Amino acid sequence: MSEITLVIDGVECKGSQGDTILQVARANDVYIPTLCFMDGLTPIGSCRMCVVEAEGSNKLLTACTSPVTEGMKILTKTDRLIQYRRQILELLFAGRNHFCMFCSQSGDCELQRLAIEHGMDSVRYPFLYSDFHNDASDPNIQVDHNRCILCLRCIRVCSEKVGAHTLDLEKRGWGTTVTADLGQQLGKSETCVTCGACAQVCPTGTITLRDFVYRGRRTDCDSQVETLCPLCPVGCKIKAYVRTGSVVRVEGLSTASADGGQLCSKGRWWLPSSTERERLAVPMIREGSSFREASWDEALSLVAEKMTPALESGKAGALISEISTDEELAVMSSFFRDTMKMDKVDGFYGNQLRGFVEGFKPFARQGVRPFTGAHHILESDAILVLDADPQEEAPVVASYIRVSTIIGRAKLVNVSSGKNPFEGITDADLRVSGKEMKALLVALREGGAGGAVPENVKGALEILKGAKKPIVVLGSNLAKTPELVTEALNLAVACGAPFDDGLAVVPMFLASNSLGALNTVTGGKDWLSEGDLDFLYVHSTGMVDEDTHSLNAMTRARFVVVQTPFMVHPLVQMADVLLPVPAWFERSGHYCTLEGDRRKMNVVVPPQGNLKGLGVIMKELAAKLGRTLQEASTAPCENVYVAKAAPDKAQIVTTKEVR
Amino acid sequence: MQIYRSHILVCGGTGCVSGGSKDVIDEFQKELERRKLDKEVLVVHTGCHGMCELGPIVVVYPEGTFYCRVQKTDVAELVEEHIYKGRPVSRLMYAGSEEMPVVPHYKEIPFYSKQERIALANCGYINPDNIDEYIARRGYEGLGKVLSGMTPAQVIDEMKASGLRGRGGAGFPTGLKWSFCAASKGDKKYVICNADEGDPGAFMDRSILEGDPHCVIEGMMIGAYAMGADEGYIYCRAEYPLAIQRLKTAIAQAEEYGLLGQNIMGTDFSFTVHIKEGAGAFVCGEETALMASIEGRRGMPRPRPPFPANSGLWEKPSNINNVETWANVPRIMVNGAEWYSSMGTDKSKGTKVFALTGKVKHTGLVEVPMGITLREIIFDIGGGILDDKKFKAVQIGGPSGGCLTEDHLDAKVSYESLTALGAIMGSGGLVVMDETTCMVDVAKFFLTFVQKESCGKCPFCRIGTKRMLEILERITAGEGKMEDLDTLEQLALMVRTGSLCGLGQTAPNPVLTTLKYFRDEYVAHIKDKKCPAGACTALVKYSIDPAVCIGCTKCARNCPASCIAGEVKKPHVIDSEKCIRCGNCKEVCPVGAVSVE
Ligand SMILES: Cc1cc2nc3c(=O)[nH]c(=O)nc-3n(C[C@H](O)[C@H](O)[C@H](O)COP(=O)(O)O)c2cc1C
Ligand code: SF4
Ligand code: SF4
Ligand code: SF4
Ligand code: FES
Repeated sequence: MSEITLVIDGVECKGSQGDTILQVARANDVYIPTLCFMDGLTPIGSCRMCVVEAEGSNKLLTACTSPVTEGMKILTKTDRLIQYRRQILELLFAGRNHFCMFCSQSGDCELQRLAIEHGMDSVRYPFLYSDFHNDASDPNIQVDHNRCILCLRCIRVCSEKVGAHTLDLEKRGWGTTVTADLGQQLGKSETCVTCGACAQVCPTGTITLRDFVYRGRRTDCDSQVETLCPLCPVGCKIKAYVRTGSVVRVEGLSTASADGGQLCSKGRWWLPSSTERERLAVPMIREGSSFREASWDEALSLVAEKMTPALESGKAGALISEISTDEELAVMSSFFRDTMKMDKVDGFYGNQLRGFVEGFKPFARQGVRPFTGAHHILESDAILVLDADPQEEAPVVASYIRVSTIIGRAKLVNVSSGKNPFEGITDADLRVSGKEMKALLVALREGGAGGAVPENVKGALEILKGAKKPIVVLGSNLAKTPELVTEALNLAVACGAPFDDGLAVVPMFLASNSLGALNTVTGGKDWLSEGDLDFLYVHSTGMVDEDTHSLNAMTRARFVVVQTPFMVHPLVQMADVLLPVPAWFERSGHYCTLEGDRRKMNVVVPPQGNLKGLGVIMKELAAKLGRTLQEASTAPCENVYVAKAAPDKAQIVTTKEVR
Repeated sequence: MQIYRSHILVCGGTGCVSGGSKDVIDEFQKELERRKLDKEVLVVHTGCHGMCELGPIVVVYPEGTFYCRVQKTDVAELVEEHIYKGRPVSRLMYAGSEEMPVVPHYKEIPFYSKQERIALANCGYINPDNIDEYIARRGYEGLGKVLSGMTPAQVIDEMKASGLRGRGGAGFPTGLKWSFCAASKGDKKYVICNADEGDPGAFMDRSILEGDPHCVIEGMMIGAYAMGADEGYIYCRAEYPLAIQRLKTAIAQAEEYGLLGQNIMGTDFSFTVHIKEGAGAFVCGEETALMASIEGRRGMPRPRPPFPANSGLWEKPSNINNVETWANVPRIMVNGAEWYSSMGTDKSKGTKVFALTGKVKHTGLVEVPMGITLREIIFDIGGGILDDKKFKAVQIGGPSGGCLTEDHLDAKVSYESLTALGAIMGSGGLVVMDETTCMVDVAKFFLTFVQKESCGKCPFCRIGTKRMLEILERITAGEGKMEDLDTLEQLALMVRTGSLCGLGQTAPNPVLTTLKYFRDEYVAHIKDKKCPAGACTALVKYSIDPAVCIGCTKCARNCPASCIAGEVKKPHVIDSEKCIRCGNCKEVCPVGAVSVE
């Protein structure tokens, strides 16, 4: 890209062909006010706040949309420009009801900030006292159209990042308003996935999230911490706002990043509400049908006492949440495997992970990484969704699929036994039973070479054949049949267009640190249903509900230790001893995400009182058992699926190799 | 082909159809059959003749006799007299001036004699539903010439040499625009015909599409060949069902003749064309909004660059031209660039179609050479002001055009001269106003329209025009302040430079030009609380001259507000407080005792 030299406010700046004036100005620390512009969203040049003058032209240029040209002389702060900007602000203020003292966003509002910056102490027009709808139909999201400045950020984020296309404009002229589903109230929208992205990007007090509004403005908060959302394997980067020890709002980090700074509804609402949940503050010991408080010493002694005989009889097990950090998983693995030499260790999602691993094996043997970063869906031109429901499994992946399909015009093929999760945007929809799935995958791979292709498969075949960058999304359900996982990977290999980091496959792991768990706590087989245990050690993060399979095993075990940050039911009812652990916001460490990178989780609120970190607890327990906690023999995720061979070297395998 | 001794052309344009021309056609047919003349005389329904207010119009060839306001009941007489006995019926002819009370022939009517019909060449002459008639008038000859002997670059050079400029408003040189799209890389390109015609009162594009649909299609094909496109869209407002129907017929016929589709005329050139019905928003006529609308998104303008030539419809290189622009293309190819550029001024070549409306004697569509004066259009072609009132102003360029005055009547019509005066060529709306028109009210009227049509994106256009309108409303209600004029002007200038697209950028034109040329009227509204034209109801006062009033009580009986008092045969009085200024009293007074000021 050729370099361009231009002068902005007398300062010589360098940019590249295709850069906008705003980009170059920002890179050179020249401030230009903006309102509708937002990093990562298509610039639309609508608010006109960023107007600048180019020497030799009487026209005003919007810096956010105008490309730089060689030798340009740009002025950003002339009297004329300041007059224009002030006029815009006055028009916006008086155009709708911007009475800051009654607005929940006052202090957080970008419009207000610009007004102050431009010394706007009065407005030359009478207020219009607009009477637009204040849409309170959604239980979580409030839309007071009387404060909308029509910057269209919400519309753009909803379509360009979330892919929901819920929002658009309706009517014209002064009465133009944002609307959901072409004329619906937001709460009645069928397309809205309640992700809250629109509220996050809204610069004014128009779209707000009730919980957040009630709990304080951004500017009221004591601190902001960048961390990740540990709820699903996408591991969205978030900013958590803390006020008086509570997480009061979370926001996606940056609209400019691949994930578009979005969060799903789980991340948006579960995380901030979690600081208000009932905590387990001190160790407790069961006494009849209730618990009594105990000291750490007493509680750990009791655990050691019950664990020892069970260890000897081989009837001790440990169930560890895969929502833990790499570091926590390493501690648990070193305690149970290396120190206590237990073999009945597993994660809650052990079966699912084993299924995927089994299916991946032939490719792992070839040294190729069998999957790719989930955001690569955005770069693909054909997406094959195999028995997946990403909106449930990992909602941001569903966003990627919608955006890639609708905006990137990728073709979408859905293959499922149940309903199509992408009804309406699918180009080929195949309904198959589990039994027919293999034959279908083979037929798609062989491109019809293996015999006549059924009529309904032809469309899907055409799409895959014509694609330059196809990608396959594997539903979690598929892990039940490793053979199908292998076949799906075979198909990806046959399509012949891997991404740099691995095969063009995105597996829907369910637990957030599944990759971290593989080398550490995931067991070799499903022992949970094999027989009754005398002792079961459960480590939960209290973030997702325990499955019935695990709960049943807990019911059957003679003695159950539950480690949890929250008083989660029915989990705590299963326990004989309850041990408190730090919650997500009190921990730090790393997660191996579906996005293909290892992301850092940071302490958002420091732990209080009697809490001990997991490392300390396990060390003390080891001591009670007369052992010393060993160094972990396996490091999580670093050694899992490290590519030893380039993905384009992958070979198709026969499914027999799986056995 | 059957040879007929005579053709009866009955106008099938929208205006004449609503005047009953369909019945007239049927009646002619019946009457001719009855007299067994139907093998000798052909009845043709044609496109618009332009003189809609005299419709339904019938022209009888070979003589070219021009009949106006022909009704079903006149048909028997016309057939009997004119066709059977060869005696034209002067009763139904156009009534001319004193020297020439009856004007029998088309060409002699002043309305037509000063016109130069190129884009409208076939309108009113051919049956638009019959491709043979188009071909008979050299239709598809231009395409044949281009495909058989010209390279795309030669076509573009020819267009450049012709000097044709976009007729959709901005007047961008068409050949130059084509060259950008031709130079743009891409294996898929589109040509688009802008038939949105959102200006209220404009109907030039509709008339062309209804009267001569093939010329637009042929123009698009020539353009597509020159730019390397193989697909076209005609974006036509859904309110033009007749135009859409005629286009569909034309496309089907052209396909049948192998003039549309694959390997046209045995060459490598292929072209298909689609019709997209528009939602009827004014802003959808803006090119980027129009393309968004074709793509199924909300019609909203976006900033340029990127220009359509590089990234247009579905991000493919695209070229968009107005209906009239496309209609000129085949004629330029047939007759040559030199012929076309021989008409017009230095920088504005050829002709332009205007929709002449308002207070002129003859309203309708006129196609005139560039460089003609406004006086010629209004007084010679339009026949002067209705009821011989005084000319006051002419609004040029549609709702966002400007108002020009008496002083500008001798200005030559060209893109440059109009822009210099603060008006625009626009799509060619010409609204003539007389002394009874209030210029503040006019500015308010046009602003009301554009204000409602703003797509809503820019604060200046969305809110700024609303605030301007409020000020005008205040002034016309007699509540204006002198400072309002400064605020109005300042805001207008900001809306003009600060808006994203042409809608916002031109919306203030009516306000700015009336402020410039008719400032006195604004001041009269504000300072004297008077509307000099007597049009702003809030400012006029009705009174009864006691010396003239005969006390007939008619006014009192007709006053809806019951605010006229007086005894029989005694002078009546109006209570101005209660008067709602409906003007009923003035209308009914038999002796003209009621006056307004
Ligand atoms: C608000 C607005 C409305 C417009 N409406 C029309 C229209 O109805 N018809 C048209 O041909 N051009 C219209 N235009 C102009 C088009 O944007 C475009 O310039 C034109 O179609 C280009 O064709 P031309 O070069 O042949 O004039 C409009 C422009 C604006 C800003
Ligand atoms: S909550 Fe999410 S899906 Fe719903 S309208 Fe807002 S951005 Fe769109
Ligand atoms: S709701 Fe907020 S983000 Fe959406 S257009 Fe209005 S001000 Fe902008
Ligand atoms: S100037 Fe008006 S119509 Fe044009 S983009 Fe802006 S708001 Fe929309
Ligand atoms: S920030 Fe550039 S126009 Fe809004």
